Amino acid sequence: MTDATLETAAEVSAASRKWAIYGGRLLLAAAIILAWEYEARTLGPLFFAPPLDVLERIGTLAMSGQMLTDIAATMRVSAAGFAIAALCGVLLPFLLRRSLRATEAIEPYIMASMGIPKYALAPWLILWFGIGDLPKLIVVTLVVFYILYITTFAGIRGVDQRLINMARVIGASERVIAREIIWTSLLPFFFTGLKIAFPRAVSATIVGEFLVSTEGVGRSIEHARQISDTTGVFAGVVIAIALVLTINGIVNLVERWALRWRPVERDMQI
Amino acid sequence: MTATGLAATLLEVRQLGKRFAQRQGRDRGRNEGREPSPWVIQDLSFSVRAGEFLTIVGPSGAGKSTLLNIIAQTDTASAGEIVFDGTTISSRDPRALKPGIDRRIGYVTQDDNLLPWRSTLDNVLFALEVQGRLNDETRAHAETLIRTVGLAGFEHYYPHELSGGMRKRTSLIRTLVYDPPVILMDEPFAAVDAQTRTQLQADLLTLWELGRKTIIFVTHDITEAIALGDRALVLSKQPTRIAAEHMIPIPRPRNVKDLFALQGFAAVYERIRADVQ
Repeated sequence: MTDATLETAAEVSAASRKWAIYGGRLLLAAAIILAWEYEARTLGPLFFAPPLDVLERIGTLAMSGQMLTDIAATMRVSAAGFAIAALCGVLLPFLLRRSLRATEAIEPYIMASMGIPKYALAPWLILWFGIGDLPKLIVVTLVVFYILYITTFAGIRGVDQRLINMARVIGASERVIAREIIWTSLLPFFFTGLKIAFPRAVSATIVGEFLVSTEGVGRSIEHARQISDTTGVFAGVVIAIALVLTINGIVNLVERWALRWRPVERDMQI
Repeated sequence: MTATGLAATLLEVRQLGKRFAQRQGRDRGRNEGREPSPWVIQDLSFSVRAGEFLTIVGPSGAGKSTLLNIIAQTDTASAGEIVFDGTTISSRDPRALKPGIDRRIGYVTQDDNLLPWRSTLDNVLFALEVQGRLNDETRAHAETLIRTVGLAGFEHYYPHELSGGMRKRTSLIRTLVYDPPVILMDEPFAAVDAQTRTQLQADLLTLWELGRKTIIFVTHDITEAIALGDRALVLSKQPTRIAAEHMIPIPRPRNVKDLFALQGFAAVYERIRADVQ
């Protein structure tokens, strides 16, 4: 075989592998929807809303503009909480990096505070800060902070010290080292953290909206539950899933761009 | 340069000693009350003249890398001192270290230590960037150096896309591009095949002939020490001391590919080999 035919053969097998994956996904989706439909028929629409009804409801919500308002409200809190948590969760390890003693002194307290059940705090947060966005924001921030703090610190500890020494010898300042070497080295960890933290932020917001809110995906689910509107609850859940999948897709795209310098193992390619 | 024509001493290592701190953790309790950790380097003295190409030969594990780390100021000395250009630069305190002494000592390490997220060209430019010296002129100089060592066409490749020899060349160029007066090299060609190594040695000599920098080149390969150096120091096993010193009488410019045929090579080789053992 010539190189060209080998190449084509490899391309063909890569393409067929891709289609096998997409085919598998579609089959799984079909199986899940069928099981869903089956449950709805055996348990009744009060227990399990039929998929078509849910789809129709999502359509109605989208047409009326209700869905967009809800998503905007949920995203507003999620994104703000996420941004605050990301800033603290990344900056703190960078500051602590400079002092081993400070890190050792502070770390047990950070770990202890991680043990606080955040959702259990919600009633008090509402008591202290009222029924606006603030209590939800605090819960989201707390949930996300630890994930990014821990992954960022793991990334900093994994930085190749030889690269730092090299940079010092050629005259790089500590700021350049932090920005260029440490930050870039820990990007894979950071993106892993993002992928865990972002869905958590959305979930935390939705749970927060159950407790107190006037708008948002969580409020829409809770409202539907109160009037025994099973279809409404399911529609809300599907919207939440779609939201998380979309965000995850965006994070994946950004990750692929930011880490384009990394060698990709052929066998690991999908 | 002195009036006699002999260049002045640029760097002097005086009674240098190094021992590492007790190992942490498992061994800490066990070693308590015992004598301190052994000397890796002890009472090591030598000097280097400006513009000299000094090679240092020693068996693996002879503390060669440790010696260069101390000179480059990425590690502390435990005893003795290093005088560079009239100033004592070594220190016992890691916080007082000044790696690279204001970019006056370049260091080509054993590992290429390229930044994996930067292309060949960007890795070379990194040195100029951090020093705030990146302009059209220095960039053109970097591109010329890249071409000189045969990396033309690979400027925009990431390190993982290059061969071991290409990565070595890149790391060499990254140091040469900012023109430090002294360059330390730690077995830079140890990990490449013999063919490539000879080519890299030839490249290095070509570049050195252009600028005549002061080079301290550490290797475990006697042939390499003779091919490159004006003078070769032989180190003993731990604790590392100077076992012998040999002038290399082979005239320059040298053709490293025909080294074995040159007059004087065999004699020097035999003498150094005897000292290494």
